[in-house]
Amino acid sequence: MSETDLSVPFRRRAGSALGDKHLQEALTIATTKFIGLRRDAFDEFPEGERLRDLAREIKEATLQHLDRYVEQLIDSVERLGGHVHYATTPEEARRVVLDIAARTGARMAVKSKSMASEEIHLNEALEAAGVIPIETDLGEYIIQLAHERPSHIIAPAIHKTKGQVADLFAKELKRQVAADPEELTRIARVELRQKFLEADLGITGANFAVADTGTVVLVTNEGNGRMVTSLPRVHVAIMGVEKVVPSMTDLMVFLQILAKSATGQKLSVYTTLVRGPRRPGELEGPDEFHLVLLDNGRIRQIAGPLREALYCLRCGACLNVCPVYRQIGGHAYGYTYPGPIGILLTAMLEGPGSVKDLAHASSLCGACVDACPVRIDIPKMLVELRREIDEARIAPWTERLAYGLMEKVLASPTLYRWSKPLARLLQRPFARDGRIRSVPLAFTEWTRTRDLPALAPQTFHERWPTLK
Amino acid sequence: MTTRTEFLSRIRTEVGKTPGLFSARTAPRPSDPRAVSETIKRELAERWPQALERFQLEFERVAGVFHRAASIAVVPQVVAGIARENEVRRLVAWDAPELGADLLDALTARGLEPFAMPPGDLADATERAELRRRVADAELGLTGVDLAIAETGTLVLRSGAGRPRSTSLLPACHIAVFDRTALIETLGQAGVFLELWNRGELEGRIGAVTSFITGPSRTADIELTLTRGVHGPKEVHAIFVDQVIRG
Repeated sequence: MSETDLSVPFRRRAGSALGDKHLQEALTIATTKFIGLRRDAFDEFPEGERLRDLAREIKEATLQHLDRYVEQLIDSVERLGGHVHYATTPEEARRVVLDIAARTGARMAVKSKSMASEEIHLNEALEAAGVIPIETDLGEYIIQLAHERPSHIIAPAIHKTKGQVADLFAKELKRQVAADPEELTRIARVELRQKFLEADLGITGANFAVADTGTVVLVTNEGNGRMVTSLPRVHVAIMGVEKVVPSMTDLMVFLQILAKSATGQKLSVYTTLVRGPRRPGELEGPDEFHLVLLDNGRIRQIAGPLREALYCLRCGACLNVCPVYRQIGGHAYGYTYPGPIGILLTAMLEGPGSVKDLAHASSLCGACVDACPVRIDIPKMLVELRREIDEARIAPWTERLAYGLMEKVLASPTLYRWSKPLARLLQRPFARDGRIRSVPLAFTEWTRTRDLPALAPQTFHERWPTLK
Repeated sequence: MTTRTEFLSRIRTEVGKTPGLFSARTAPRPSDPRAVSETIKRELAERWPQALERFQLEFERVAGVFHRAASIAVVPQVVAGIARENEVRRLVAWDAPELGADLLDALTARGLEPFAMPPGDLADATERAELRRRVADAELGLTGVDLAIAETGTLVLRSGAGRPRSTSLLPACHIAVFDRTALIETLGQAGVFLELWNRGELEGRIGAVTSFITGPSRTADIELTLTRGVHGPKEVHAIFVDQVIRG
C-alpha cells in the first residue's frame, strides 16, 4: 500500500483497504495476537483494574493543574542544564529542531520512534535542510526505506510481509537477503549500528516527562531509545504538553499498565529515564539536551470537548480491538494517528473539519473504552464530534437534510402521525421482504453497505389502541 | 517564536476555564523516601530468597539467563563460561569500585581480554572516541546492578562516573552482577528509589540516565516474529552472588 492520498475520499481509501487481501490477513493476525497478549497480561495482574483507575485519576489531576506541572518540568530541565523550547504549531517545532541542527552543524540525525515527530512531519523538513534523518525503530526504518507512513502506533510496519521487506532491503541497501525476519533484523542491526555511532543528533519523543525531576522517559523494546540518547552529541526530545506526569511515583503507576496494554509485556525491554545532558564525570551522553514542548491544538482542548483524549498514552490497544481499524488498517485513516483515538487526535490537531468522514468510522461499540488503560470514553467524544460537525455544517448536505427532517418529525406528534403513510408510500418501490436494500439519488451511498428495515404495515403506535 | 511566558499563560487560561471532569488526585508520594526505602530493604533482608526465586522466574520468562555464584571470586569463572559458549573474548567492564570488585586479572587469567572503564570522564574528544571504538568492538559488557525487580525480572542500572551507559548497550552480550542488597519486589517499590535518587544530596552524584532493562533487546516488527538483539544486547545474563559483594 502506498502513501495515503487525502484527496481520495475516506470511503474509497477504506474500500481499497478492504479489497487488499494481504492487508486483511496481516491486520487480522496482528490485532488478534495483540488482543490475546493484552488479555493474558491483565488476567495475570489482579491489581491492573485498580491501577487503571488510578492512572486515569492521575491524568485528570495533572490536567487540572497542567500549568503548574509544565512550569515545574521546565524549571527542572533548565536546572539540569537542558534547554526548553515552545512550539505552538508544527512549523514552529520544525524550526526549533532545524535551528538546533544548524547551530550544532549536524549532518545526520538518528531518531527513535516518536509519534510527535511524525505529527510535525519532521523528516521531510530535516531532509530539505540537508540533515539526513534515520528512523531506527526497525518497523519505522522499514517504512522510511519504503517512503510510507506508520500503519499502527506501536507496530508501524505490520502491513508488510517479510518478502516485501527483503525486496526493499535488496533495492535500498543493495544487498540480497533471505526473506527471514531473523536475517533481516541482523542486517538492520549492522546497518543502523553504524548510523548510531556516526550521527550528531539524536531525536526522540517522550512517553512521559516527570515534572518534579525533569526526567524524559522513553519506552522501547529494541534499545534504539538508549542508543539515540547516549551516543550523539545533541539530544532533542519532542513531546506534546499533555505527556507530563507530576512525580516518579505517578510514573510507576503508568509503567505498570502501559506495556501490558500495548504488547502484553509486563514491562517493555527498555525503560530509559533521561535527565538532561551528561553529568560531570560521565563519559557518554549528549553535551546538549533540548526539550521541545508541543501545543499543536492540545492546549485549547484542556477546556474543550476533546479533553479526555489528552489522557492518551499512545499504547495502541484501542486500535487492536476496534472493528473498523481491524478491517481497514492505519493508512486508510489518512493521518498520523489511526484508530478510534486517532480520529479524536486528528480532530484535535487538524480541527473537526478534517474528520467529517472519519468521525463516522466507528460503530460506537465501546470496545476501545474497555481496552484503554486510562478508560478514555472515545465513543462519547465521537458522538460529540459528530454533533459539532453537523452544527458547523461541515457534514454533507444529504446527511444534514436527513437528520434535520428526522429531528423535526420525531419531535412533533402531528408530523410523526402524517409521516407514516407518506413513508409507506415512498418506500413501496424499494422495500422487499421487509428490507430496503437500495435507495436512489443522493442516498445510494448510505444503503450501499447497509440495509434499512422497512416501515411495518402497522406501527406499535398504531396498534396500541387495539392492544389497550 | 512562542515564549515561555506566552506558552504557560495559554495553558493557565485554559486550565482556569474548567473544573475538570471529576475530582482527582495524583498518586500519594512517600514523604520521606529514604526512610521508606530503608524499610523496604530491611524487609527484604528476610524475604530475599522468595524475591530471588520470583526474579529468576520472570527474568527467564523474558529470555534472560540466570546464574548463581557463591561469592564474587567465582564470578570470573561464570563469565569465562559465557565467553566460551559464545566463542568471544573481548570484554568491557564498569570501573572496579562500581562493580564492587577488581576482576580484570582473574578474567585475563581465564583467557579473556578485559578492559575496565575509566573512573571518570576523559580529557578530550579523541580519547572518548577511542574508548567508544573499544566498547563498540567488545563482545561482552560486565556491569553491576542498582536494583533487581522480582515482579518483572528487571535490572535497573544508573549511569555515572565509572559506569557508562554503553557497557550494557553496545556489546552483544550483557552480563550483570548483583547480590541480595539490590533485590526488591515490585515496580511500586522501584518508584520509592527513583524518588530518593532524584533529589537531595544523591541527585548531584549520579549520572543522567537510569535504565530499566527487562531481558535482551527484541523486536516483532517483521510479521510479528519475535527476534532478539535488534539494537541492544542479544543476550542478558544475571549473576546472583550469594555472599554480599561489598560485605
